[in-house]
Amino acid sequence: MGNTAKESKPFVYVQIDEKLCNGCVLCMKACPTKAIRVRDNRVARIQGVCIDCGECVRVCPRGAIKPIFVQSDEIEKDIFSIVSSSAVLYSQFGGDVMPNDILLALKRMGFNLVYDQGYTNEIFNVAVELHIKENRKKPDAPWPLISPICPVVVRLIAYRFPSLLKHIPPFLTPSEIVAREVKKRLSAKYGYKQEDITVFHITPCAAKMISMREPVLQTSSYLDRAIGIGQIYNTLKKNLHELTEDKVLHHSGGVGIGWGMTGGEIAGVNANCIAVSGISETIRYLEKIEMGLLHETDYVEFRICTEGCLGGPFTVADKYQAKHCLQRLVRMFGMEKRVKYEYVRDLYETGWFFTDQEAMPLEASSSYLSVAENIERQKRIDEVLQLLPRKECGACGSPDCHTFAEDVIDGSVSIENCVFLSHDKDKIRISGES
Amino acid sequence: MPHLKKEFQVKAGDFVHAGKGSMQIQSTLKTIGYDPEIIRRASICAYESEMNIVMHGGDGTIYLTVDDRWIIIEACDDGVGIEDIELAFKEGYSTALEEHQEMGFGAGMGLPNIKKNADSVKVNSSKNKGTYINMFFRTDKNHG
Repeated sequence: MGNTAKESKPFVYVQIDEKLCNGCVLCMKACPTKAIRVRDNRVARIQGVCIDCGECVRVCPRGAIKPIFVQSDEIEKDIFSIVSSSAVLYSQFGGDVMPNDILLALKRMGFNLVYDQGYTNEIFNVAVELHIKENRKKPDAPWPLISPICPVVVRLIAYRFPSLLKHIPPFLTPSEIVAREVKKRLSAKYGYKQEDITVFHITPCAAKMISMREPVLQTSSYLDRAIGIGQIYNTLKKNLHELTEDKVLHHSGGVGIGWGMTGGEIAGVNANCIAVSGISETIRYLEKIEMGLLHETDYVEFRICTEGCLGGPFTVADKYQAKHCLQRLVRMFGMEKRVKYEYVRDLYETGWFFTDQEAMPLEASSSYLSVAENIERQKRIDEVLQLLPRKECGACGSPDCHTFAEDVIDGSVSIENCVFLSHDKDKIRISGES
Repeated sequence: MPHLKKEFQVKAGDFVHAGKGSMQIQSTLKTIGYDPEIIRRASICAYESEMNIVMHGGDGTIYLTVDDRWIIIEACDDGVGIEDIELAFKEGYSTALEEHQEMGFGAGMGLPNIKKNADSVKVNSSKNKGTYINMFFRTDKNHG
């Protein structure tokens, strides 16, 4: 297994500001992959596999953790710029601002082309229906299928649930499809070189950047830059007030718009689907699927953020108010898909939706050990664990007692770092780890 | 080489915590790094035997013993026992209470599922004497 896996790269997409960090344990406790430690210098550091879920960004009371993003002054430099946006953007300016206004305001900001991604979302829904039908005919297909949309869920699966990678349909996400298609069409129509076209994507998601640089489901991304909603919010709002144009840029119906909230993706899929959101619920359900407990379900929409993409770290509006706003837009534009089924089936059969790469597991360092070495390691970890108080306090600088025991065995920390044990020297001597 | 052995307590009738033991077994197996397919099969067996204890077992214990060539999961309980072991292996045969079936359990697939997923199964049980199930998995075919 080891040689087929992608090695985890040292580049981390969140930055911890050492001046602001006081070494509290909140981010370390919140991290679902246990990748953060707070060691002697009292500053949190990332040392394991980061799936870029944004939990640390969210819990940090001092604003010390920030995702790394494109600078907004980079927008002007390109020859031809295209922008597409997550449907979440439509929910950020209150109930009176229509999607078309937002797209017009984006155009005013200087993008050469503004593309409404909602329509591609609807096409994608039909492709998922086709894929479900096709797989139900195969006797050994994995069930349920898992939505490839949330980049954090995909990375979480690649890292912690590699046996579930085959549940993810090998589809490009709508934002990738949009980027590929507009590049292709523009270069055919106007003769631009593909590399002179820059596709921006406006996103509420802290993980968009990492999913563009190191995609799990494709060799390289068609998107060029990610912009957080919060980064362009004020400029966009200013442009909204100054709108004079009257041009129709918005084409999607309620189905495509609803994608911004939990349950929105599956609302457009006519099959037995469920929607799960939030990181702890997602992990719980992935564990269930791994045990084969949900094989009667066709498709599961996972979103790592509570309430879906509306709850992303880069949103500006409160997620529940944004949800209200998005629900209203969904009602307004209606839940009938305006996509021709036959048209999508032809696209599906030509491979239009499919990625070029089989998903590979991302592996943690201990997975380079052999099974026998790992058993030996586990036994030593259990021995250390027996000595620990199981208070799970995190004062040692590791997120919980079990991880601390792993760190002791792996030699990155001394057992004396346990504040309870340091009063009990006898125990430490018995363990022989001091 | 001495083996790694872990045990997990299971309480009769405790549907709230049912499945926790098998999830821990699954997570231990994942940390050790066995082939995902073997982990999947072993976890299914752990889960089915855990549910059997919760439904029929009285209190019980699941033991996990691992080696680099094999995994053994043993489920012991002091519950009602199995009267006719051959019948219990038949798909759809169930002695589960109606209330368990209403919760979606007790479809009579427990032991058949274990048989399908384990490389070998041994059951030792008689009426009112509790049940002992031994599930064996070979792990060396993918690790040379």
